[in-house]
Amino acid sequence: MSSVQNIQEGRSRPSFPFGFLRRATPGAGSPAILALLMTPGIIIVAAFFLIPLALVAMRVADGPDGWATYFVILTNGRYFASLVQTLLMSAGVTLTALILCGVCGLFLVRNRFAGRNMLMALLTLPLSFPGTVVGFMVIMLAGRQGVIGSVTDALFDEKLVFAYEISGLFIGYLYFSIPRVILAVMASAEKLDPQLEEAARSLGAPTWRVIKDVILPGLMPGLVSSGAICFATAMGAFGTAFTLATDIDVLPMVIYTEFTRNANVAVAAALSIALGAMTWAVLFAVRCFVGSSADTAARGGA
Amino acid sequence: MSTQIRLRDCAKTFGDGTRALAPFDLTIEGGETIVLLGPSGCGKTTILRMIAGLEFPDKGGVITFDGDDVTHQSIEKRRVGMVFQSYALFPNMTVAQNVAYGLKVHGVSREESDARVKDMLEMMHIEMLADRRIDQLSGGQRQRVALARAIAVQPRVLLLDEPLTALDAKLRVRLRTEINALLRKLGITAVYVTHDQEEAMALGDRIVVMQKGEIAQIGTPREIYRKPQNPFVADFVGAANRLDGQMRDGRLHIGTHVFDAVDAFDPRHGAIIDQGPVELFFRADGLSTCDAARAHVTGRVEAVSYLGERLRLTVSGIGAQAVIVDTHADDVIAPGADVHCQINPDRLTVFPVGAGAGNSAANQSAHAVS
Repeated sequence: MSSVQNIQEGRSRPSFPFGFLRRATPGAGSPAILALLMTPGIIIVAAFFLIPLALVAMRVADGPDGWATYFVILTNGRYFASLVQTLLMSAGVTLTALILCGVCGLFLVRNRFAGRNMLMALLTLPLSFPGTVVGFMVIMLAGRQGVIGSVTDALFDEKLVFAYEISGLFIGYLYFSIPRVILAVMASAEKLDPQLEEAARSLGAPTWRVIKDVILPGLMPGLVSSGAICFATAMGAFGTAFTLATDIDVLPMVIYTEFTRNANVAVAAALSIALGAMTWAVLFAVRCFVGSSADTAARGGA
Repeated sequence: MSTQIRLRDCAKTFGDGTRALAPFDLTIEGGETIVLLGPSGCGKTTILRMIAGLEFPDKGGVITFDGDDVTHQSIEKRRVGMVFQSYALFPNMTVAQNVAYGLKVHGVSREESDARVKDMLEMMHIEMLADRRIDQLSGGQRQRVALARAIAVQPRVLLLDEPLTALDAKLRVRLRTEINALLRKLGITAVYVTHDQEEAMALGDRIVVMQKGEIAQIGTPREIYRKPQNPFVADFVGAANRLDGQMRDGRLHIGTHVFDAVDAFDPRHGAIIDQGPVELFFRADGLSTCDAARAHVTGRVEAVSYLGERLRLTVSGIGAQAVIVDTHADDVIAPGADVHCQINPDRLTVFPVGAGAGNSAANQSAHAVS
C-alpha cells in the first residue's frame, strides 16, 4: 500500500518502506497493522501493570480476614488514620504548591530582570534530586542540628525541630513539587492573551475579578495537570518519608512496615489497592469538576 | 450626552528612552468618530491606549473627558469600551456571558442585564449565537460579540484598535458599514485606529494622520484626500506617483511644459512658494493617456493589469520612479509599448523638494499593509 501511495505522491520522493507509520489515513486498511504494532505495548502493560495489580488485589484474600481485609483497613484506627493523614497532607501540599507556584510562575513570565535565568535554574533544581536527598535536606533545615533549630535556639532559647514528623514531610514534598508546578504554570501563563485582561479592565473589572475571571481560567489547564502529578507524587512517595523517620504514618510507610516487618501481606496489599484507588478517584473527581472548564479555556485560547 | 475628549501636551516616552509620541494636542468632540491613521509604529495605538488608560502620558500631559481630568485614572474607572484586533473575548464564557460581563461587574440586576444583553445581541444581529462558545464563532461573529460587549456598559467613549484587520476583505467592508451605522445610531464618541486609508475615509468624521510619533495632518476625509498638507500624507492616502518640477514666478514647469494656477504649498512655513524645485504627488488620475501630438510626457509601459472597469499601466521613463496611469478598459496595450500622457494639473499636489519624507513614507506604508 505504501508503494502505491509513493507513486501517487510523486516520483521525486524517495521510497519510504514503512509507509504505514505515517498518520493513518481513513479507510486505508491500517487498523490491522496498527493493532499489530500495539501488541508489544499491550503485552508490557499486561505483564508489568495489570497482572501484578490483579495478583496484589488477590493476595488480600490470603489473609486471616479474607476479603474482609478491605474493611479492616477502614475500621482499624491506625490504618484509617494513616489513610486520612496521607490524603490531607497530599491535598495540602498540592494546594500550597499551586498557590505558591501560580503567583511565582506568573511573576516570572511577566517580568524580565537581572538574574531571572539563574532563579529559574535554581527553582527547577529539585527535579534532579531523589526523595532521599530531599529528606536529607529537610533534616539539614529542620532537624535536631538544623538551621531553623539553631536560629530559634539563639533567639528564643528553644529548639524548633519538625523534620521528623508530618510537617517535615510536608516541606520536603512541597520542595519536590515546586519545579513541576512552576514550569506548567509558566507554560500556561505565556499563552495568556494580555488583551483579555485589558478587555476585562475596560469593562470595569477590578484586579481580583481579572484574576478570577481571566487569569485563573487561563492557567487552569496547567494547574490541573501539574496539580494532579503533584498530588499523585505526594500520595505515593516513599524515599523522603523513609529518610526522615520510620514512624511517620503516611500510607507508603505503613505499607512498607506491614509488608517487610510484620509480614502482614494481606493488609499491605489491601492498603496498596486503597492507595491507588484513592489517588485515582481524587484525580478523576478533579478532572470532572474543573476539567470541562479547563478544556474550554484551552481550546478558546488557541 | 456624548463625551468630549481633550488631550493637552501629551507625549509618551517609553521606559527604554524611545520617544513614541512627540507632545501633541487633540480635541475629539462629543459624538465624533475620529480615525487615527498611519503605518505601524507611528504612535496611533499609543494615543488610543492613553485615552483608554492603559498608557499614561509623560509628565505635563493632561487628558480630560468633558472637562474631568482623567489623566491619572486607571482604565477600569474611565468607562471606556474597547474593541481589539484579536477580539479578546473570554474563552471560558458563552457569547451572552461575554456581553453581560461588564454589567455583572457593575452590579446591574439580573433582569436588567438579561434584557440589555438581548438588545445588544439583536442590534448586532447575533441573537441566535447567545449560548454558543467563543471557539464556535467565525471571526466576523467574534468581532460583533466584542462590539456588543463593549457598548453594553454604555461607555463614555468607544475605542477600536484595528478591529477589522484580522478579517477577510469582503467581510471587512461589510462590517465597516455596520460599524459606521452603529456609531451614527449611538452617537457615541469613538476613536478608531487603522492603517487602512479606505477604512479611515469610510468611517471618520475626521482623520488624524500620524507619522513617526507626530501628527502629520488632521482633517475631514475630503481634506485629507484632496488637500494633503505634506508629502507623507499625500503618499499615505494614495497619491504615490511622483514627478519632479520647477516653480518659476508662480508657474509650474514640468520638462518643457508650463502650467498655470498650481499652488506649491510649503508645510514647513505654512506658505505658498513661487520659486524653486518641487515634487508633484498624484494618483492615477493625475495623468491620462492621449495621442502623441497632445502629449506632455511619454513613457514606456512596464506592466499592464486589468482591473475590470479600467486598465492600470505601470509606466517608466516619466518620473524617476515608475508611475501608475489608468486608461480605458477596452484599450489594447502591451508591455513595451510607448504611452503618451497628458498631465492634469488640478490633480497634482505640489510641495517644495525636501518638505517631507515622501519616498521613505512609501516604503513604510508598504510595510504596514503587508
